[in-house]
Amino acid sequence: MNKINEFIEKIKGLNKKVVFPEGEDERILKASSELLKEKIVFPILIGKKEKIFELGKNIGIDNITQIEIIEVENSEYFPEFVNRYCEKRKNISKNVSEKIVRKPLIFGGLMVDTGKCDSMVAGASNTTASVIQAASLTIGYPEGIKTPSSFFIMALPNEKIYFFADCAVNICPDENQLAEIGITTGINYKKLMEEEPKIAFLSFSTKGSASHPAVEKVQKAVKIAKERNNTFDIDGELQVDAAINEDVAKRKIKDFSPVAGKANVLIFPDLNAGNIGYKITQYLGNAEAYGPILQGFAKPVSDLSRGAKVKDIIITTVITCLMS
Amino acid sequence: MDNNEIIERVKKVISEVLGIDKDKIQLESRFVEDLGAESVQSLELVAAFEEEFNIEMNEEKALEIKTVGKAIDFIKEYLDKK
Repeated sequence: MNKINEFIEKIKGLNKKVVFPEGEDERILKASSELLKEKIVFPILIGKKEKIFELGKNIGIDNITQIEIIEVENSEYFPEFVNRYCEKRKNISKNVSEKIVRKPLIFGGLMVDTGKCDSMVAGASNTTASVIQAASLTIGYPEGIKTPSSFFIMALPNEKIYFFADCAVNICPDENQLAEIGITTGINYKKLMEEEPKIAFLSFSTKGSASHPAVEKVQKAVKIAKERNNTFDIDGELQVDAAINEDVAKRKIKDFSPVAGKANVLIFPDLNAGNIGYKITQYLGNAEAYGPILQGFAKPVSDLSRGAKVKDIIITTVITCLMS
Repeated sequence: MDNNEIIERVKKVISEVLGIDKDKIQLESRFVEDLGAESVQSLELVAAFEEEFNIEMNEEKALEIKTVGKAIDFIKEYLDKK
């Protein structure tokens, strides 16, 4: 939790604004109330004012009137966003755009796109696919990125922090997608941790110790990632022990590697490995797992699990805002 | 509305949203594999069908539809109820 507390202290005073398209969700309301009270970020809720006020009253939120609430259709931004959507999506008529912009996830995405707030946090009652869809249509991707993905921040009992990706979105990324996931996670590691990432592309093979199409995919991803980013330390394919343990790295790798034994960003070859990897670290290694945090969009958007608790929403919001 | 008119209007909407030639669209065409739709465009197709036929579809069910023929069947269900 130490790292998260550090993140919270860091974000205070930055005046970040976050839009929550699921403003009528009780957990979102509680999290927003706390975020505002503790002066962590400024929450903006999308939903019907009457419904949110009533819900707030019922669950004892005492600062409900201080939280900004936007009713999509009555919003001063609505006409602007309808035009903006048509501009971004050339084949969509104005009438259809009006229908689409009424959707809270789309409206929230357009708030981020147009700079009216810094980030969007959603997924308490929408699927991950819907959140990704809305972000793709409104915020889009920066140049060179086509793959939305996700990472987990894994905080170990010895206070070491690793970023794991992708453990939640891409089931079977190809070599290009895997390379993108590696670079994007590295960028976010640097933003959040304020130190250089050491990115290890993981496999069951270390530097050609095994040959199989699954190993070749990782080798190709490493090559692509290095070609696309020559500032980060990137290496692979590595077994996880060779990536994180210096003794093993010395034994298994003869040539110099800037990453082996010192990796802080672990890129898993597919979702089987990634999802199992983070859960093993969490449950057998007693690590705290924060995420999945969505990444890859031009501006930060995050997804919540539908079982997210108030504390999870606050942590995700803080991390997402620090990425903006 | 007769069947042919529904089919024609569905094809018109698809060709506009996806920016493709209407003649390429067959009943058995799959949106993603055959017509080149990106999966994110499903939301736009649903909104465009709703606008064209003045109906409100169940979004979750609508987003599961994979082919043009199935989309037509789904839209007909709503038109029958009108």
